[in-house]
Amino acid sequence: MPSSPALTVPKAQKIMAVLWSSFLVSSLASILFFFTFDPQTALHLDISKMAAYSIGFFLFWLTTGLSSLLTLYFSTPLPQVSSSTHIDEL
Amino acid sequence: MKSSEENHTTQSIPLETVQESLYAKREKIYPRQVLGLFSRLRITSVFTLLGIYYIFPWLTWDGRQAVLLDLPARKFYIFGLTFWPQDMIFLAFLLIMAGLTLFFFTALAGRLWCGFACPQTVWTEVFLWMERWVEGDRPQQMKLDKAPMSARKFRLKATKHAIWIFFAAYTGLTFVGFFSPIRELCVNLWHFNASTTETFWVFFYGFATYGNAGWLREQICIYMCPYARFQSAMFDKDTMVLAYDTQRGEPRGSRKRGEDYKTAGLGDCVNCTMCVQVCPTGIDIRNGLQYQCISCSACIDICDEVMDKVGYPRGLIRYTTQNILEGGHTHVFRLRIFIYGFLLLSLFLGWMYAISQRSLVELDVMRDRNSLFKETETGFIENVYVVKLMNLDEHAHSFQITAKGIDGLQLELNQTSELKLVSGEILDVPVRLIADPKQLKQRSTDVSFQMQATDAPTNPKLTTVEQARFLGPITR
Ligand code: SF4
Ligand code: SF4
Repeated sequence: MPSSPALTVPKAQKIMAVLWSSFLVSSLASILFFFTFDPQTALHLDISKMAAYSIGFFLFWLTTGLSSLLTLYFSTPLPQVSSSTHIDEL
Repeated sequence: MKSSEENHTTQSIPLETVQESLYAKREKIYPRQVLGLFSRLRITSVFTLLGIYYIFPWLTWDGRQAVLLDLPARKFYIFGLTFWPQDMIFLAFLLIMAGLTLFFFTALAGRLWCGFACPQTVWTEVFLWMERWVEGDRPQQMKLDKAPMSARKFRLKATKHAIWIFFAAYTGLTFVGFFSPIRELCVNLWHFNASTTETFWVFFYGFATYGNAGWLREQICIYMCPYARFQSAMFDKDTMVLAYDTQRGEPRGSRKRGEDYKTAGLGDCVNCTMCVQVCPTGIDIRNGLQYQCISCSACIDICDEVMDKVGYPRGLIRYTTQNILEGGHTHVFRLRIFIYGFLLLSLFLGWMYAISQRSLVELDVMRDRNSLFKETETGFIENVYVVKLMNLDEHAHSFQITAKGIDGLQLELNQTSELKLVSGEILDVPVRLIADPKQLKQRSTDVSFQMQATDAPTNPKLTTVEQARFLGPITR
């Protein structure tokens, strides 16, 4: 099945799957995080709250985005190795 | 499905494009303009929803911006209501209710949301209008895209993108205007001294609008929309769906005017491919219900128009239910609808009740961390606290703090002035409690602080009690 060209995942879908799912999760994470910790009083950051929220959001997005990227990378189909292939043939 | 390939060739899309699409390369879609009942409904919906979006930040209520999600101050104003961090539960329930409403309407009428209310659809629609205004309808757009670059092509494309970008930037500004007061924001942006964060979000949201509504369009629905993925779970055989009447339409085929097509063995579909040309997601509804179909009803409108022209009854493509298509009856009022409806109604009533009963004052008591207790010169035991008062009411009130829990407990404030708090004010007040050590039975005694509005002492919403502990020496 995975060799059928019609079933290849489009590049657009891959890009969006990585960026969008991580965007959603990082929004949720930022809401929960900043709901609990006030950037000025709890984290002692010397910047405006909006800046702190925004930077926090993008750091979360970077993290979740990397994770999505790794998921994508590890979920690509493996090359078919037949059971008879010997280890030193690889 | 040979005929659908013919469609493609008659639409003069080169064969390579069709083959490439097997490798899932996106084919640009040029939805043809359509006018009809449903497209008028969509225009109404676009104006209503975008009207709300673009106008709300400019409304004033009680001297402040009517809808303002003030993140730095951690309060949300929505007309007469003010939400504080401790009211987040209300907002969470609001979201749950929105979700249930979506379920309810999906079970009842399919993907109504997608075709008429989803921001993606609404903004894409506006972008399509602008595109048509500059480049013309589908045939002109396709011709323009195929033509080599020329001064005219460049001018048209540049105009289109300029209009799109301007509109998207204004959309971004409006978005930020929900979070920071929009009048100041405009003035600041105009003088180039808006904060970096604000400027950044204006551009970010503007860019997202431009990208999503101008370029990505149906790909958002197909690849990114979680609702599109699970909506089928809310469908049943009585859900309204948009479908092509295969029984009536097939076998499709072109025919001459006045020819008795029935004896020629043809169905009602004249195979004009108009339904494919108007489709914003580029599918052929005649292939059956498809996940990509956003129920925009454009194909209904256009097919009705075609049916009128050839003199057949309307409704070859129409809203129907699977039960009807299978020749049965449909029931609008069924268990699923009752369950969703009941849940929705009770949640809504509960929510309204809870909002109306919400306490308008908030009291927080913190012990002074530096000392456990102190002995006064007169041999009494003193504990120091910081009491945090919050007035969540729309109006200013004066408050009084009292404490009880130990016989003869005295409360002393450093400040002698009235504790007057304007709406939304938070006040930290250092408070000393003094007790006679003879009254202390153990090391730690429970005491309670009460906060009460002096101008409305009987209003239960302006009164609150908070527990604390009073520490003393170990006696005996
Ligand atoms: S618009 Fe109607 S008649 Fe024309 S191809 Fe589509 S279903 Fe057939
Ligand atoms: S098939 Fe019809 S209703 Fe569905 S997206 Fe296309 S035009 Fe809209």
